[in-house]
Amino acid sequence: MIYGKLWCVVKPSVGIPLFLSAVAISSFAVHLTLLNTAPWLRNFYAGAGPKAAMVVEPPAVAAAPPQATVTASADTAKKP
Amino acid sequence: MKEQSDPNKVWPTGLTEAESEEIHRHLIQGTQIFGFIAVLAHLFAYIYSPWLK
Repeated sequence: MIYGKLWCVVKPSVGIPLFLSAVAISSFAVHLTLLNTAPWLRNFYAGAGPKAAMVVEPPAVAAAPPQATVTASADTAKKP
Repeated sequence: MKEQSDPNKVWPTGLTEAESEEIHRHLIQGTQIFGFIAVLAHLFAYIYSPWLK
């Protein structure tokens, strides 16, 4: 078996936890990155169906402030 | 000429070559099972989620 003698020079109590944690940490990091970068994935895990998850809401647009309207007051309207 | 290794030699980790190969065999088998389950999980994710669609 290739590399079968590895454990003659690497203590299994060090090498095996190192190997398993490398697999666990890297796969966790990949899935966390996907959760933060693929918008549909968060929607899908939140309970949206396959079709609904693909609908990405447009970014919120700030509402424009109310425009000031100039109206003639009753006093000015009566003046000749 | 290939040097014949001593099968009874205890290496610095406290294992013989046969014991080392036994551990390695189990580790490889565990990795293959993990890989199989991971492939299956990704297949289900591809079928039932909008991934890559």
